Amino acid sequence: MITDACICPRPRGDSSVRRMALEAHELGFDSLVAIDAPTCEYAGVSVMSGVLVRGAFAQEILPRVKRCKGTDTVVIVEAGDSGFNRAVLAMRGVHVLCGVHLTDRYGFDHVAAKIAADSGIAIDISLAPIIHERGATRQRALDRYLDIVMLQRRFEFPLVLSTHARSVLEMRSVREISALASLVGLDVGDVKQALGNAGRLCSPEPAVRVIQ
Amino acid sequence: MTVRPPTLREKRRYVLVRIAPAGCIPDPKELYLAVHDAATVLWGDAVASLIHPAVVAVENGCAIVRCRRGMERELAIALSTVTSCGGQRIALRTCATSGTIESLRERVASVHRSRPPSSGGPAECMIDGRLFMVCHCAGQKVDVIEKGFKNTTRFFLTTEDLEDQ
Repeated sequence: MITDACICPRPRGDSSVRRMALEAHELGFDSLVAIDAPTCEYAGVSVMSGVLVRGAFAQEILPRVKRCKGTDTVVIVEAGDSGFNRAVLAMRGVHVLCGVHLTDRYGFDHVAAKIAADSGIAIDISLAPIIHERGATRQRALDRYLDIVMLQRRFEFPLVLSTHARSVLEMRSVREISALASLVGLDVGDVKQALGNAGRLCSPEPAVRVIQ
Repeated sequence: MTVRPPTLREKRRYVLVRIAPAGCIPDPKELYLAVHDAATVLWGDAVASLIHPAVVAVENGCAIVRCRRGMERELAIALSTVTSCGGQRIALRTCATSGTIESLRERVASVHRSRPPSSGGPAECMIDGRLFMVCHCAGQKVDVIEKGFKNTTRFFLTTEDLEDQ
């Protein structure tokens, strides 16, 4: 399933979730993770409900994560400093850690990468800074993403790709996402896997599969 | 000035892009400046000069952008980073690449045909107690702008969203 791992429809943005689903269908997506929107299906696109959790301390976000436990809501936590990120990556119920490009260089290091790989929490590569930012901000984001991709190849934690679109004008097609992701060293196979990871977050494959 | 023989001319490629939102017709010069700026900021002056982007035509909600052969990928990536043109928010969706403008013009006609025709939906609607003016309505898609001279933000909705209000 090809999924945009984070979009922000109305009231955060200027487009309704239905309109974004229509656009996503035209752009080649099968599903979307929509922040603060109910789970539904529209125009053949399955919309997964998502929640964006922000906090300064791990204890601060814990109640919100616990509230989503047992539901099909995708829990996305905004990254913070190194200690916060390590605590979040070890927390049950978290699916995605986003905004790693906004943290300092040591915010997501090899230790955090190892924890993410062990707990199966995905790291989000948001294409928003590549599309919308210019100059030093975009260069810093590209640099951080290159570092994340290097760590991903070593530790094999899941990656997800998102546009963080607040409008249909900020959404990009699968082909465009693939081209933009090539700037951070992701080839077509990596992009395909990253776009498929978001759909698997809420229903991960069990460690042991009973055949008979 | 003598025209160079075909074998000495540089090879070009033409990229067809669909302009979003529907009904937005940017000025070709403004669009050229936006594309050129996006290419220069992303790739730098050296690569932008190799891409050599130029807007050839803007017609039927599509634009044809020219580049040097072999630089289509770089141009396509730069095009996907174009977010505004002449102060108006837009998105450029790459549709096709070709060696001739003529084949892309045929494609423009097919893209134009595939779009649902603009239908005469409601002229005005109320959303959350505020009055909005419908500026574009095609198929299930409805674009609205809040009435009043101060607020010109465009909202992207569907016919079902309007029915729910």
